[in-house]
Amino acid sequence: MTAMPPPAPASAPAPAPALTAGAAPARSEAARLGLRLTLPAQVLILFIAIFPILMQLYISLTDWSPLSGRPWPRAWEMWNGFANYADLVADRRLTGAVGRTLLVMVVCVPLQFLLGLGLALLFVDDFRGKRVFYSILIMPMMVVPAVAGYMFFMLFQSGGPVNDILGTLLGRPVTIAWLSDPTLALVAVMIADTWQWTPLMFLILLAGLVGVPDDQMKAAALLGANAWQRFRTIALPRMKTIIIIALAIRTIEIFKIFDTLYIMTAGGPGVATETISVYIYKITTQDLVWGYVAAIALVILIVLSVLAVLAMKRMAR
Amino acid sequence: MSSIRLENLVKRFGSFTALRSMNLEIANGEFLALLGPSGCGKSTTMNMIAGMEQPTEGRILFDRRDMAGVPMGRRGVGFVFQNYAIFTHMTVRRNLDYGLRMTGRPAAEIRRRTDAIAELLDLTALLDRPSAGLSVNILQRIAIGRSAVMEPAIFLLDEPLSNVDAAFRAVMRTELKALQRRFGQTMVYVTHDQLEAMTMADRIAVMDHGELLQVGSPLEVYNAPANTFVARFIGSPGMNLLTGRLVETDRGLAVDLGEPGISPPLPAPLAAAARAHPRREVIYGFRPEQVHLTDEGSALRLPLFLAERIGARTIVHLGSTEDTVRAVFQGNPALPEGVLSFAPDQAGVRLFDAEDGAAIRTS
Repeated sequence: MTAMPPPAPASAPAPAPALTAGAAPARSEAARLGLRLTLPAQVLILFIAIFPILMQLYISLTDWSPLSGRPWPRAWEMWNGFANYADLVADRRLTGAVGRTLLVMVVCVPLQFLLGLGLALLFVDDFRGKRVFYSILIMPMMVVPAVAGYMFFMLFQSGGPVNDILGTLLGRPVTIAWLSDPTLALVAVMIADTWQWTPLMFLILLAGLVGVPDDQMKAAALLGANAWQRFRTIALPRMKTIIIIALAIRTIEIFKIFDTLYIMTAGGPGVATETISVYIYKITTQDLVWGYVAAIALVILIVLSVLAVLAMKRMAR
Repeated sequence: MSSIRLENLVKRFGSFTALRSMNLEIANGEFLALLGPSGCGKSTTMNMIAGMEQPTEGRILFDRRDMAGVPMGRRGVGFVFQNYAIFTHMTVRRNLDYGLRMTGRPAAEIRRRTDAIAELLDLTALLDRPSAGLSVNILQRIAIGRSAVMEPAIFLLDEPLSNVDAAFRAVMRTELKALQRRFGQTMVYVTHDQLEAMTMADRIAVMDHGELLQVGSPLEVYNAPANTFVARFIGSPGMNLLTGRLVETDRGLAVDLGEPGISPPLPAPLAAAARAHPRREVIYGFRPEQVHLTDEGSALRLPLFLAERIGARTIVHLGSTEDTVRAVFQGNPALPEGVLSFAPDQAGVRLFDAEDGAAIRTS
């Protein structure tokens, strides 16, 4: 069966032959020893990482669902070839969800990056009450996403605090239906995400900024560079790696955006805030087309992996 | 080029006083070493001259121009950091022309001046190399060149040799002194190493606990230390300092030093100054290099504690329970067993007040 992992040689690792410094070149001998020593761990990792993917691939080539009355290894009886993948390309609801996820990503990642960077720049120097502000700033990150979801669900009710505050500022009653307007619901979701995850950006970027050698910043200042020039020519290049890490983490996280959003809008109104994760969740629990879900998940995994590899390559340079 | 004048300069960090009322004039083109143990306020002084820190009180003047409120980038000060603070993510050229680029000079001028400074510092072949991973003496030259290309009026160097191993330090010292001669700028050099200060500086300013103790040429500071701290700090080993009491002997005024005995009579000018001094308790000082073995009746006597023979010199430690006196002899002289009779060279004897440690000066 294709989904089964290769028989595990880990269970019976071959006894290492005595090391002879004779015929075999020492390097390949060492490499072979290394391979033998790490083999159990490698097989374990392979099992953890590869097995689910192979299983997913297998299911994605079938029409299997838990209601089909067969255990999953027998899904081949419902083999449909690449039909799920063909459906996937034509699925307008999916492309909509992908587009919406990308939109949230394109808005939120730069927004959270700039906010986080600005805050980090403020926190590099000492000021009164820095510790207190620091604690307050990173608090949103500590809130359980589900709780944050209910918080923003409440805040954005048409009779809720957000409208109250806007009403006070504008001097007339405001009754915006945030979560039932397709555009505003997406805005509200982005606000919630930004509120919760800008602190992470801030923390990572602050760590990067603090790591910039003070002497170099001073040396640049003594050579006549102004604050912006110092930031651009000294701090920014030195923070490159950490900036890529921060952006990669947030990009991947937003790609998977789910919990807070689902509690706030459940993807609605209609499909106005339906992101990839919400869509997958819905068709998994409501339509029970597991073969199709597996196909979607696999494609997303591949896309994310490619992105992650590209980011890491950039970082290595 | 410009002169520097520090007027009643004070720096406090909270309740800690890093620098108490410093007055110092540094002449145009002079090489001044700020010398003192760590925590004596020398780096603080330097940072205030550079504008990295603001004085709590007092003024800093460059050529009579008050520097208060002038940001560090506009002071015309070149600063070489202890670790050189090279921009390791840039090439050597980008390091050298950094200041010119940031201040928006025309490209042709940037190129011309950078090439000239690279030529002068023998860095031309390295211009396009990344600056990470270059050797320390090259990093030092880049650090100096990066500042020198801006043609600063004043050069400040913060312990530039402290990260270098001892053998290499001598090479770097020579190189640095040669560079200073070539540029002819006013240089202030912070160090805790008296050898660096003695070999390179025109004048040395000795500091301790935020106080300027003495300013003078290396030989002045060596020969006529203003107090016991300077006497001990300058020289290797530092000056011998023995507490004693002035006594009149039949051959003139001398100092009773306790265990070693009564000193030879003081030279006449010093005796006169000592007679005029209000207190009898004094500190009797002489350089380890200015000691000779003698059998005269007025010689001092101490048992041999330890002799370090290091080839060119022999350092003899004298004393019964600890090395109260050190003497340095050239070469490898034969030493008698047991108690040694010795006397300081008459011209090298100094007296200090026993309470505040200030030198008793001959007029």
